[in-house]
Amino acid sequence: MAATLAPVIPDAGFSFENCKRNADLVKKGFPAPTATKTGTTIVGIIYKDGVILGADTRATEDTTVSDKNCMKIHYLAPNMYCCGAGTAADTEKTNAMIASQLELHRLNTNRTVPIVTANQMLKQFLFRYQGHIGAALILGGVDNTGPHIYSIYPHGSTDKLPYTTMGSGSLAAMAVFESRWHKDLSEEEGKQLVRDAIAAGIFNDLGSGSNVDLCVIRKGSVDFLRTYDEANKKGVRQASYRYPKGTTAILTTKTKNIIVEDVSVRPIEAMDI
Amino acid sequence: MFLTRSEYDRGVNTFSPEGRLFQVEYAIEAIKLGSTAIGICTREGVVLAVEKRITSPLMEPTTIEKIVEVDKHIGCVVSGLMADSRTMIDRARVECQNHWFVYNERMTVESCAQAVSNLAIQFGDSDDDGAAMSRPFGVAILFAGIDEKGPQLYHMDPSGTFVQFDAKAIGSGSEGAQQSLQEVYHRSMTLAEATTASLTILKQVMEEKLNSTNVEVMTMTPKGLYHMFTKEDVEEALKNVAPLEHSRGDTPATGSGVQAKTSSA
Amino acid sequence: MSATVSRPYFPDYAANAPTKHHFSPYADNGGSIVAIAGDDYVVIAGDTRLSAGFQIYTREQNKLFQLTNTTVLGCAGCWCDTLTLTRLLSARMQMYEQEHNKTMSTTAAAQMLSTILYYKRFFPYYISNMLVGLDDEGKGCVYSYDPIGHCEKAKYRAGGSAGALLQPLLDNQVGLKNMQGIKSEPIPLERALAILKDVFISAAERDIYTGDGIHINIITKDGLKSDSFQLRKD
Repeated sequence: MAATLAPVIPDAGFSFENCKRNADLVKKGFPAPTATKTGTTIVGIIYKDGVILGADTRATEDTTVSDKNCMKIHYLAPNMYCCGAGTAADTEKTNAMIASQLELHRLNTNRTVPIVTANQMLKQFLFRYQGHIGAALILGGVDNTGPHIYSIYPHGSTDKLPYTTMGSGSLAAMAVFESRWHKDLSEEEGKQLVRDAIAAGIFNDLGSGSNVDLCVIRKGSVDFLRTYDEANKKGVRQASYRYPKGTTAILTTKTKNIIVEDVSVRPIEAMDI
Repeated sequence: MFLTRSEYDRGVNTFSPEGRLFQVEYAIEAIKLGSTAIGICTREGVVLAVEKRITSPLMEPTTIEKIVEVDKHIGCVVSGLMADSRTMIDRARVECQNHWFVYNERMTVESCAQAVSNLAIQFGDSDDDGAAMSRPFGVAILFAGIDEKGPQLYHMDPSGTFVQFDAKAIGSGSEGAQQSLQEVYHRSMTLAEATTASLTILKQVMEEKLNSTNVEVMTMTPKGLYHMFTKEDVEEALKNVAPLEHSRGDTPATGSGVQAKTSSA
Repeated sequence: MSATVSRPYFPDYAANAPTKHHFSPYADNGGSIVAIAGDDYVVIAGDTRLSAGFQIYTREQNKLFQLTNTTVLGCAGCWCDTLTLTRLLSARMQMYEQEHNKTMSTTAAAQMLSTILYYKRFFPYYISNMLVGLDDEGKGCVYSYDPIGHCEKAKYRAGGSAGALLQPLLDNQVGLKNMQGIKSEPIPLERALAILKDVFISAAERDIYTGDGIHINIITKDGLKSDSFQLRKD
């Protein structure tokens, strides 16, 4: 294979070549590995001047927390963001794929992409896969026609709503919205309401946890508020767990001298954490 | 004995107008036909000694077993109807094993006596557990054991009543033997002294001449636990027994002629 | 989760064949138990979260049960089984006291629990049990069980939903495993308590069924003392 000279560009779309083999393996008693789920509370509301999206930051594998501070609010376009619940890989890749198509659409049409377009693309994509792509989304943004919130289900159905919640903590969060949401919320009131809705999910739903992320989208501006609220503080350790030097057993040692032939210094940009 | 015999001495569930259960009292009487057994509890351990009635020279004396092991730490001697005693010993053994199985510890001597007592009073009406026993057991038992309280001796009679004793005699010679025990017993007795005392007293109350084949001896100590005397052990112990005083030896056991007919031994 | 899924019933389409119905008698209500024994003490702690699926039933459920002045049982798993088992145990403790005129020792209670569990070999109590106490010499001991009565005596143990997460940590910090040149000294009570709390702080970070708080029982020759400690609540 002349891979380095003429790399083979894979066909577009999903590859199903292992499906039959994997089904056989399952039949023979090799269970398929489990995917990371974002147990999740995600919400979105419309307030006086735009929309506010919110999400918790816990990712789980079965009953174990696999990421204590993950991002569930994804970028779609400069004027719209999308919260994802369900299978982590599906929400991330679906949003990234749609984001790239929306950017192409913006370049082709030379105007701000309407939210309804993103909604249509997402639901058509998900419907095509008949629910096998486990993405439950809340799409929010502001376009020329005003603020919009959509909830999109894994099978491709969508709702257009003034306030909505999704994920395993959706009931806890919706309880907060049902009691306190109204259409004339100010930005501060809206942020507080969304925070409280996410916090309700964080504390009352075991699939949700850690911190609150917010995203405020107004006409012409966006505030992406990562870790808007640290809902839970980690406990403080009481004892010291430092090991004295030499605690780890050295089984073998082997020394290899490095011959320095040339020294050069290259500045590297600090990583965004 | 009971001159006012009436219809009240038949059933085991019927009190007489004076408030007595005759069948139980008769059962206690039956013990007095049995061979004499003695138990002495000392700080060092407990000793049990019992006479074996060799009623025929053709009998094999070793097959008479009156002292048996219940568990490693409990032994007992029985007097009265031997066949009845087998059922009770079986219960004692089962209860001790069950206690070990459930709690992984030795059953106390008192609890063991309690368990056998529960069986002893099951005469009377039938219930869900099965048919009734037609009569009380005709057996008295001395339990000798070691538990967390140290060496222990318990006596139980056919009514199921059980009481702790320092020294106790049962069977045909029990009245005389108990008297003698009261005279010789003291708290700081050694186990060897107790063994000698029990054999001496047995010798006094027995009809037959005491020798190494017509007596069974067992000691129960914290260290050695259940230890049955061999023929040689008995012979060794008998060396310490003084020759018979004439004043005592002529006391015949009550009802000794009846015992062969009722097969009580 | 064993919630019943209700489906619409269309009589015209009903099949005239035997229908299979599922019944799941067990629930996993989560929870973790950790115990550490020393030469003259034993400590046991259980978290106070009771949950099922993604729901929290309560944030303040004590999972430690005092059997005698020197014996405590910790239970995690199916809560309804725990309720039944602990009631049965307290009845049996009382019966033993009345039958044998003494309080049951820790070793006797440990053996009795094993037989009670095995008695239900084919319909087990779905509980991970941890029995701690002082033995006849006053030494701390920990007995851990599987649901059908296998019993293991240990010096320290973690069980319940975060058991697999915590046991290796205890092996290292209490059992002093996988370390070189470390002097094996008995762990003082204060250190054991600190490890106990830290271990639960870590469990609450990663196990969704462990959190809210812990109850601690400390057993020494002077008797039983209780303590509690807050954990994160998400």
